[in-house]
Amino acid sequence: MTSKTLSFDAGKCVGCYACAVACMDQNDIDATAGQQMYRQVMHYENARAGEVRVTHVSLACMHCDAAECLDACPSGALRRDAGSDAVVVRRELCIGCHACAMACPFGVPRFGRDGTMQKCDACYARTRFGLAPACVDICPTGALSYDDVNAAMAGKQARFGKSFAR
Amino acid sequence: MNDLELRLKGKVPGPDTGIEVRKSVCAICDPGTQCGLDLYVKDGEIIKVAGTKEAPHSHGTLCSKGAAMRQYVYSPDRVMTPLRRTGARGSGEFVPISWDEALDEIAMRLNAIKDEFGAESVMFYSGYAKWARAYLMRFALDFGSPNYLTESSTCATAMIMAQQLTYGMPAAADLKNTECVIFWSHNPSATKGLNLASINARIEAGCKVVVVDPRVTDIAQRADVFLQIRPGTDGALALAFGNVIVGEGLYDKEFVESWTRGFDEYRRLVEGMSPEKAAGICGVSASDIRAAARLYATSKPACIHFSAAPVVHHTNGVQNYRAVFCLIGLTGNIDIAGGNRMNPPSLVHQPGGFPTREREFTGAGRLADLPERIGSARFPVWARLSNEAQACDIPRQIETGSPYPLKALFALGLNHRMWPASQKFIEQVCKLDFIVDVDLFLTDSARYADIVLPACSSAERREIRCWPMGYVQFTQPAIEPVGESRSDVDILSDLSARLGLGDELLEAGIEACVEWMLEPSGLTVAELDKHPEGMWVPGAKPPAERKYLSGGFKTPSGKVEFVSSVLEEIGGAAVGAAGAPATGDAAAGDAVASAGAAGRAGYEPLPSYREPQMSPVSCPEMAKEYPLVLGLGARLPMFQHSRTFRLPWTRALSPDPHADVHPRDAAAAGIADGEWMRVVTPAGAVTVRAHVTLVTREGDVHLYHDWPQANANDLLDGDYLDPISGFPGYRSSLCRIEPADVRGEGACHD
Repeated sequence: MTSKTLSFDAGKCVGCYACAVACMDQNDIDATAGQQMYRQVMHYENARAGEVRVTHVSLACMHCDAAECLDACPSGALRRDAGSDAVVVRRELCIGCHACAMACPFGVPRFGRDGTMQKCDACYARTRFGLAPACVDICPTGALSYDDVNAAMAGKQARFGKSFAR
Repeated sequence: MNDLELRLKGKVPGPDTGIEVRKSVCAICDPGTQCGLDLYVKDGEIIKVAGTKEAPHSHGTLCSKGAAMRQYVYSPDRVMTPLRRTGARGSGEFVPISWDEALDEIAMRLNAIKDEFGAESVMFYSGYAKWARAYLMRFALDFGSPNYLTESSTCATAMIMAQQLTYGMPAAADLKNTECVIFWSHNPSATKGLNLASINARIEAGCKVVVVDPRVTDIAQRADVFLQIRPGTDGALALAFGNVIVGEGLYDKEFVESWTRGFDEYRRLVEGMSPEKAAGICGVSASDIRAAARLYATSKPACIHFSAAPVVHHTNGVQNYRAVFCLIGLTGNIDIAGGNRMNPPSLVHQPGGFPTREREFTGAGRLADLPERIGSARFPVWARLSNEAQACDIPRQIETGSPYPLKALFALGLNHRMWPASQKFIEQVCKLDFIVDVDLFLTDSARYADIVLPACSSAERREIRCWPMGYVQFTQPAIEPVGESRSDVDILSDLSARLGLGDELLEAGIEACVEWMLEPSGLTVAELDKHPEGMWVPGAKPPAERKYLSGGFKTPSGKVEFVSSVLEEIGGAAVGAAGAPATGDAAAGDAVASAGAAGRAGYEPLPSYREPQMSPVSCPEMAKEYPLVLGLGARLPMFQHSRTFRLPWTRALSPDPHADVHPRDAAAAGIADGEWMRVVTPAGAVTVRAHVTLVTREGDVHLYHDWPQANANDLLDGDYLDPISGFPGYRSSLCRIEPADVRGEGACHD
C-alpha cells in the first residue's frame, strides 16, 4: 500500500455536491445520456430527544487494499494502478458480468449503456503527477482529503480528542 | 497508456498536453462570492474547471454551481446571434440578425419612444449577473430615464433599507474576530458555502453560535442555541431579545446614552414583548430566547450574520429586520472588531479596501432632475433610500399608466419568475411596445422579447471584482466568446454611441470606465493587467473601527435610530402619542399593530411587530382551508434561482421540482416521500414532489422556486408586498397540500 489515500470525514461534510460535480467535470460524464456519477452524495436524518441531525455522506470507490472486486473480475478488466494503488477499470476488457458488483461490499460499481463497469479511479491520472483528485481539490470544507491514511486519521482523532476538552 | 495519454486523461496542464490554466471568476451566484476560477483551456476550449488556489475568498475551492461552469458556458441553449422575434411574444420564434441590424433597430425604436412618450417611459433593468449594473444605470440616466431597476427589488435592498433606517448603512458581521455570532436566517451550506471553512474554524476556536431559522440547517445543528421560529415572526423574537437585554441591564448604557435615538420608546416597546409572549408567537421556548439573548449580549464582541432576502421576504420584513438590527446598537456591537462593521463598497456592492468613483460613475446625482421613479409614490421609503425604481410596481404602472405610461423595457437578464404573480407580470410586460433582452440563454422570459442579444459569460469577458480582504482582479477573457456573444458592457457602449447619448467615457469601453472609477484608489488598468489572477491592493486596510465618533451615523439624527426619523416623517405617525405602540397581539389574531397614533399603516417609527399579512394567526378563517404556512425561496446547494437548472450535471442532482414537508403533515395529507403532491393556495396550485423531512417545522411547507413547470411565485398575489420596501411576502403565506395523480413530466400549473 502506498501512503496516500482518499479519506472522507462526515463531521465536515455539508452535502454541497461540489465533489460530485467536479468528478463529473473531470471525467466528462454525459449526464444527459444517463451516464452514472462516480461519486454519490447522500443525506440521512435522525431525531434524538427532539434534536434533528442531518448527516451528509460523499462516497465513491474505497480503493480497498484487499479489493474483493479485483479478485472477482474474471476478465482482467480491474487492476491496481502501480503508481497510485488506485483500483482502476479498463472498460475495453470488461465483459459486463457484474461479478465485481456482487463482490463489492460498498455498492460502488455502476454500469454504462454499453454494459461495462465504471467507477471512480481516484484520479490516478492526476495523482501520478502530483495533483489531488478533482473531488478533493474542490471540497470547500476539507471533508474529502487525499493524504497519508495515518496522517488523515491522526487529524480526525485529534479533533475527536478535542471534543473532550472542558 | 503512455505518459502523455495519462496526462491528457488527467487533464494535467503543460506544454506537452497543450492544456493551459487561465484565470477567471465565477459569476453564477453574485456578488459577495465571485469565486476564483481556474479554467483548463485546450485548443481554445474549456475542458475542465477548478478553483483558483490564490483566490483569497475561495482558496481553490468551488461549489457545485461553479464546478458546472463548463456546461454553463457551452450550454446548447446559448444564444449565438442577435435575434429578431417573428412569431407571437412568448412563442420563441426568432430569426438571426446581425449586430448592426439589431443595435440600429434598438436605437431607432428607443429614441422614437423617447420622442413620443418621454425617456421615463423606457425601463432599464438588470437581473443576473450583477457586474454590469453601474454601467447600465449610467446608460439609463444618459438616456434620460429615472427607471433603472434590478432584481434587487426582491433581493438585498430591503435588508439594506432596514440597516439604513437603523444606523445609516450596512454593517457586516466580522466573523473572524467575534466571540458570538447569530446566524439570523442564513444557511451557509446552500449559499456562500465557501465561507464554511472559516466559520468552522471560528466555532472550533470556541465562538458561540445562535441560529434563528425556520429550518434545521446544517449550521443550526452546530448552534449553542437554535431558535426554530415560525416564518415571519423574526421581529417578535428580536423584541423579546431586547426585552431580556434591557430588562436584565445587559445593554451598553454608555453607547445607548450617547449614540441612540428613541431608547425610552424602544424600552416601552420591548417591555411589551416578554420572552413568554414571543415564545407563543414564534413557537420556541422562552428559556431558549433568554439563553440566546444573554449569550449575544454578554459575549464581547458579538455579531449578527444576516442574509440578503429571507427575513425581508415577508410583508412585515423591513420592520422585522429593523428589530433585529436594533440589537446591534443596543449592545454597542456596531462598527467594532468582532461586531457588525461598516465597510463601504468599492465595486459591485463589495468592499475592497480602496476608494473608487463607482457611485459617481453611475451618475445617480442626475436622478433629482428626472420624473419620479416607478414605485416612488407607492413605496416612498424605498424612493428615499434607494437609487433604483421598485420593479414590483411595474405591472401596476403598465396597467394603469399612472403616473405616466411605460412603453419599453431594455433588460440585461430578464426572469419573470423572480416576481410575484409571475404570469401576470409577464402579461403586463407584453403590453409594452418594445422589449429587448440581453441574455446568455434563450430563457422563457427572453422568448417575450422583440430583440434578443447574446451575452457572454464571465469566462468570455473582462470584469473587475474586489474582495473585502483587499484583493482586486480585472479578468481577461479565458476563451473567445461563444457564438457572436458580447460582453454586456460592450453592448451598452456600442448602443450608447448609436443612441447618440454623447457619453464619451462609456463609448470608450470597459478599460476606460474602470480606469475612471479606480482613479481615487491609485490602481491602474496597466497594473491590474499584469495580474490576471488578481492582486493584493497596495495599502488596502480594513476600515477603521467606530467611524461614527467623527461625524456620527448616516441617519438623519446621526445616531442609531430605535425610532426612525425617516419612518416618522414619511409615515406621519407620532410615536407613543397614545401610549406604548402595540407589539402585535397574537391572541387577538389582529394583523394590524396599532401604531399609537394615526399614521401610514406599517410605517411605525419603532420596529413594532405585526403578523405577516397571511398567517394562521392573522387569517384564522383562511387557515381553516389553507392550514400550512407556505415559504417560497429556500435554497438548494446546486441551484441559484434558475441559473443552473439547464445544466445536466447540476440538474442530475435534483431533477424535479419539490417541496419540503414535515412527516406529520405529509402523513396527515396521505403523501409519502417522493410522491407527487399539489401545493394549493387561493391564487393557484403547483404539482411537485414531496420531500418529507424533519428539517422543516411541523406546519410549514418550503417550496423551491423558479421551476417553469411549477412556478412557486404564481402562488401569490402580485400585491402581497411589504408596504415599506415593496418586497413580496414570499416566505410566509398559506397553503394546503394534497396528493396528486400526475406522474413525471406532466407536472404543471392548474
